Amino acid sequence: MKLKIEAIATLTPGIRKFTLAPVDGSPLPHAGAGSHVVLEIPGPSRIWKNAYSITSAADAPAYEIMVRRVEKSRGGSAWLHDHAKLGDVLEVYPPQNLFAPQRLAKRHLLLSAGIGITPFLSYVRLAGLAYEFHHCCKPEDEAAFRALLPSGPQMTLHTSRHTLNLEALLKSQPLGTHLSVCGPESFMDMVLATAAHAGWPAAKVHKESFGGATGGEPFVAHMKRSGVTVTVGREESLLDAMEAAGLAPPCLCRGGACGECKLTVLEGVPDHHDHYLSEIEHAANDAVMTCVSRAKTPELVLDF
Amino acid sequence: MNTSRPLYKPFALDPSGLAHLIVTSLDTPPEGIEDSFDNIEVWTVKHAGPGVPVLAAGGIRPFRSTTEQLAQLGHRLGRMTAGLRFYAIGSEAFIWDAYNIAIAAGMHPSEIFLHRAGPFVRRVYCSHCRTMVEDVPANIVTCPSCEASLFVRDHFSRRLAAFMGVKVDAEVPGEVPAAEVFTS
Repeated sequence: MKLKIEAIATLTPGIRKFTLAPVDGSPLPHAGAGSHVVLEIPGPSRIWKNAYSITSAADAPAYEIMVRRVEKSRGGSAWLHDHAKLGDVLEVYPPQNLFAPQRLAKRHLLLSAGIGITPFLSYVRLAGLAYEFHHCCKPEDEAAFRALLPSGPQMTLHTSRHTLNLEALLKSQPLGTHLSVCGPESFMDMVLATAAHAGWPAAKVHKESFGGATGGEPFVAHMKRSGVTVTVGREESLLDAMEAAGLAPPCLCRGGACGECKLTVLEGVPDHHDHYLSEIEHAANDAVMTCVSRAKTPELVLDF
Repeated sequence: MNTSRPLYKPFALDPSGLAHLIVTSLDTPPEGIEDSFDNIEVWTVKHAGPGVPVLAAGGIRPFRSTTEQLAQLGHRLGRMTAGLRFYAIGSEAFIWDAYNIAIAAGMHPSEIFLHRAGPFVRRVYCSHCRTMVEDVPANIVTCPSCEASLFVRDHFSRRLAAFMGVKVDAEVPGEVPAAEVFTS
């Protein structure tokens, strides 16, 4: 669907908020708490497809997203920060939800850092959601984040990760609590490790991660069935390279979370960066998630 | 194999838990837990003997009945924090009653461990009048409410913690075969 940039706001030096409204005023698809949209972002040599959490209410007339300028950006966030202007029309795919609030939770412990705040901004709009929310940010961003967040005893803003006593917090949660976490990989790794140490079962710990598609060494991928060979550059994903070669491989979240883009590996060893396959499946090395994973060997042969 | 019958692993504590609550419908705690982990509490049922049971040593708390025990369980779980592992040991009816209380308290199935022990008796749900018949030892039983002779099918409802009982002489009224005692 075609959406135009209706408003742009600078929240912090590194984060801009975009309001995306339908060109023809038609109603937008419902976007429940935790949903994200994928935007097509024009670049000098190719189109980027980036996923962003929707921070507006489910039935709002326009979607709001927040975009952090990624250092060494692959292209998407840099364009949205430097070139996007009011009235620009972007191709936007309908929202998907891979991070909906846990239905069976009695209450929710929400932990985020930096731009990881975005999925939870839709959570806290839900009427009657029992939650405790801790957000960590840089001291200079405190005022901007405070303006986005509800006030009350259930909400705590930390200006450093180190003021959050994670172990004590996790050990004191009532039994029916589910933990949801979003933020940089290092933050989520720390939270997940502390939660496991505090006896939290994996089934009660939920993480949202986008932008896991970090670059790496270039490699070559051969598509056995289509007979196409692509070279995956240092700053692009396997999925990007396949699309640039004119292929239409399956994909959905583009963040290693949904499992849609899984392809069978016939030869070579993948370098897994996804959160979808289990440890056992990773060790088997017979499947790869093209959106975030790369190769440990110079070449991969894929069943596509 | 009948897939509605849950399978149970041998009793073992889950080392990833920080605290452990074991409820058993038997009067003794499971063997081998004394030195296993810290933070273990065991709820037993003192079936025989005079007087009101008092808190025994070693984190063992005896109750007068499973009814009293399960009535306390929801309140207790409501006060517990993350990191708990919950274990129920006893008849299928008892352990699934306990399971359903734990789920209602917000526990996840991966935090709950069930172990079947004690006599092979079943709770039977009369599918004609919805009466629950407790401690049924054999596969034919008369419903105490509607007086139907029930055949106990090998069909277990986790929600009701009961086996389904259907009229055994539906085809030929009065023709009731000999009952077989449960061996599982």
